[in-house]
Amino acid sequence: MPDESILSDEFIRELINVGEVDILVGVPTHNDARTVGQVVQAVRAGLLKYFPRARSVIINADGGSRDGTRDLVCAASINDTVGSNLPALRTLHSISTQYEGPPASGTALHTILAAADLLQAKACAVISPESTSLEPEWVERLLRPVIREGVDLVLPVYRRHKFDGMLIRNLVYPVTRAVYGCTVQEPYPSDYAFSSNLGSNFLNQDLWTQEQGRHGTELWLTLAAIIGRYRIYQSFLGTRGRLESPPSDLVKAMRETAGLLFCSMDCYPAAWKDSREPLPAPCGGCQPAVSLEPMRVNRKRLHQMFTFGISQLEPVFSSILSTPTHEELKRLATLPENEFELPEPLWARTVYEFAAAYHRAVIGRDHVVQALVPLFRGRALTFLTENREAKESEIESNIDKVCHAFEAEKPYLLQVWDGGK
Amino acid sequence: MPVQQDALWYKDAVIYQVHVRSFLDSSGDGNGDFRGLAQKLDYLQDLGINTLWLMPFFPSPLRDDGYDISDYRTVNPLYGTLDDFKNFLEVAHKRGIRVIIEMVLNHTSDQHPWFQESRSSRSNPRRDWYVWSDTDTKYKGTRIIFLDTELSNWAWDPVSKQYYWHRFFSHQPDLNWDNPAVREEMWDVMRFWLDMGVDAFRLDAVPYLVEREGTNCENLPETHGVIKDLRTRLDREYPGRMLLAEANQWPSDLRAYFSTGDEFHMAFHFPLMPRMFMGVKLEDRKPITEILKQTPEIPETCQWCLFLRNHDELTLEMVTDLERDYMYDEYAKEKAMRLNLGIRRRLAPLLDNDRRRIELMNGMLMSMPGTPIVYYGDEIGMGDNINLGDRNGVRTPMQWDGGWNGGFSTADPETLYSPLMLNPVYGFQAVNVQSQKRFDHSLLAWMKRLIKIRKSTAVFGRGSIQFLYPANHRVLAYVRKLGNETILVVNNLSSSAQAVELDLKPYKGNILVEMFGRNVFPRIGDLPYLLTMGPYQFYWFKIRRV
Repeated sequence: MPDESILSDEFIRELINVGEVDILVGVPTHNDARTVGQVVQAVRAGLLKYFPRARSVIINADGGSRDGTRDLVCAASINDTVGSNLPALRTLHSISTQYEGPPASGTALHTILAAADLLQAKACAVISPESTSLEPEWVERLLRPVIREGVDLVLPVYRRHKFDGMLIRNLVYPVTRAVYGCTVQEPYPSDYAFSSNLGSNFLNQDLWTQEQGRHGTELWLTLAAIIGRYRIYQSFLGTRGRLESPPSDLVKAMRETAGLLFCSMDCYPAAWKDSREPLPAPCGGCQPAVSLEPMRVNRKRLHQMFTFGISQLEPVFSSILSTPTHEELKRLATLPENEFELPEPLWARTVYEFAAAYHRAVIGRDHVVQALVPLFRGRALTFLTENREAKESEIESNIDKVCHAFEAEKPYLLQVWDGGK
Repeated sequence: MPVQQDALWYKDAVIYQVHVRSFLDSSGDGNGDFRGLAQKLDYLQDLGINTLWLMPFFPSPLRDDGYDISDYRTVNPLYGTLDDFKNFLEVAHKRGIRVIIEMVLNHTSDQHPWFQESRSSRSNPRRDWYVWSDTDTKYKGTRIIFLDTELSNWAWDPVSKQYYWHRFFSHQPDLNWDNPAVREEMWDVMRFWLDMGVDAFRLDAVPYLVEREGTNCENLPETHGVIKDLRTRLDREYPGRMLLAEANQWPSDLRAYFSTGDEFHMAFHFPLMPRMFMGVKLEDRKPITEILKQTPEIPETCQWCLFLRNHDELTLEMVTDLERDYMYDEYAKEKAMRLNLGIRRRLAPLLDNDRRRIELMNGMLMSMPGTPIVYYGDEIGMGDNINLGDRNGVRTPMQWDGGWNGGFSTADPETLYSPLMLNPVYGFQAVNVQSQKRFDHSLLAWMKRLIKIRKSTAVFGRGSIQFLYPANHRVLAYVRKLGNETILVVNNLSSSAQAVELDLKPYKGNILVEMFGRNVFPRIGDLPYLLTMGPYQFYWFKIRRV
């Protein structure tokens, strides 16, 4: 049984008033007043337009906002006292709860899952409060496959700038594809939908007291769906808006991506070591998903951070990497920026050796993950250089090239997983 | 118990709608008649209703179930004689039952002598009693009501070689209410029946009386002028009689038919009815509260007339496209169930013969602000026959017992005006008055109790209403109040059990007394009043200070 103690009494009273629903849309927030109002209004428009007969609810799981975020979500309610001029057949509850503990997307998802379970939602979507380019159609594209076609997990495909999401494109996507045999372009989604079946299963997993239950939980959900051989589908949503926000913390991002990937490989070796049929993840409405506007990137800094990392973390790398891989990386560190290239096969072997080191816990696992950061900067520099002048199709083919390298090196992963360096 | 003299009697009425032809055949010719109806007044009195609304019983070619009248001043021989009617009326009044009859003002049958004269030549003195035109392009902005059968509101008359105007079937030409002679004649017709003692008229199709170019020919000021004139005459010559409007319009448009209390006494609340069905199917009170919020205040002497089903299709004219599609999909899955912009089904089949839902709907009907109408046969849960044409599927013979022709007639079954219901669920052997009289918990017995409790207080007919809006949208709750008497009504529209918290602070310190079982519920305190309700359950509570 899921632990419903995470839901406050007040929130449970609100859920009682909502009652059983067909669709639940969860919006995890923390001080998102700048964008959440617009996003929730678009979600509501999507529900009214595409699922007018469904019993729906919007649930905001908030991490303690102090900027009025929760009020903005609640304002999207439609009932017989407010919003009755909208073409709505039904009451639409839009409610908010503040979960306990520090802000964490995993805790928010846990709250949303518990609510969905309690309300017996047949389909559940989670929408990022930062998805400012969200159109009502996104709601339909995410939920319809679950409701109409029995899909368990719908992942988004966005049109992104060619240099957006480099960690996903150079690591998470290729590893997921090569190791687990499932081609999902956005395995770490911010807007996604899932069935009650997958939701209940995930809710009952023993992860909510662990790190993956707090951060990177969305990636863990994708991996759980792949490992559990659930039906996965990808929906092309459109351009994902970019918020002007401070540079993200790469160490944190690495923990939530590579850290979780390595953890899942460690926890579920049978899911990837034994040869399994690839798990299909068809894409609806997919089209070239790359935009090419000019963008300023500080390549020199990336190069410096790579070379600095190689020299500073020498002992750490000695514990993690095989000698040939380590030597090759050290050689790359001696190259000037304009000659620098971390090729795909070497990158794949490096990542796999890190995964094996994580598995064998040759040093603290978090240190293993953190040590991958400077090496990723080298890979990012290579990707930037390689695709500086690239057209849409070239970029897609270059990303494919990364994936092929990881696929080709999978036997090497098997070899290093249990063996020595 | 003769009828009481109270000018506002219609506010306390519980109306039973019946077609003479459908109720009881005393002559054995296959058609119900006034003698048969008079025989069953005991049954109706026992049921507890105090007003009868009779569908048209005038001579007619019966191409629109009597709404195509060919003589306004007598009774269709199929149903008996004028003396039979007078006798029925007298017996009904002796039992305290008032009688509302139909008055179709807008149109006649094309077989009516007036129309025959009118069409006979363009110079006939009655030519102007109807609306004629050389073209079929006048009044272009007027909608067609019977979309399934009519292509135009004009029909070509090959005799006088002009078009005549008809808002309904082409065999029902519209009278020309701009003609003073028509007005005088129709008032004279009404006086004919008022002199006999009828208590009220249901005036059929009132929005369409007058036509004007450049308008939609509905609800025109000139039409209101006609009604005001009739009302003035009625009040002057026959005080205490009543006019009931049939106007399928939005509440805001309907409001004008009450005017300042000098047009209609009552009008049907058409938009509420489909929304009650919608609310129960959606398990959401929103459609009901929304339409009632849009319903304007009406003069003190006026009243809404509420109904669940009647002799027509469940009209979906007063709903949005989204709502209509939903209603069709949920309540008329088979195409044969649909007619015009509506659903031609009876109450019980619409509600899947679910006793709980039937009770809930009747509970709402009897507790909302207005005068309720029970359609004949719905008190025992009669079914419909969608294989019969037009709206005949909801006009089948009353099912009195499980014997020959369901107790309706001694005629050969083939000669009945309509086939009986025979299927194993709704057939007369399964659903009939006699069998339901045997059991205290039959639908019939329950309806008797419901009507009795409704009539036990004037609050439901005359009181104010205030909605409570509990956070649980599946629960519709309202307070009815008249003088010192206050009643709380709580309806669970959901198919599952619900908990609901009601804000009853204004009544703190009072207790609730459930009106069916007379059981006392806990005193109202500072906290929201918590009720748990079974699926489709409803409560009527008296709020009483102890």
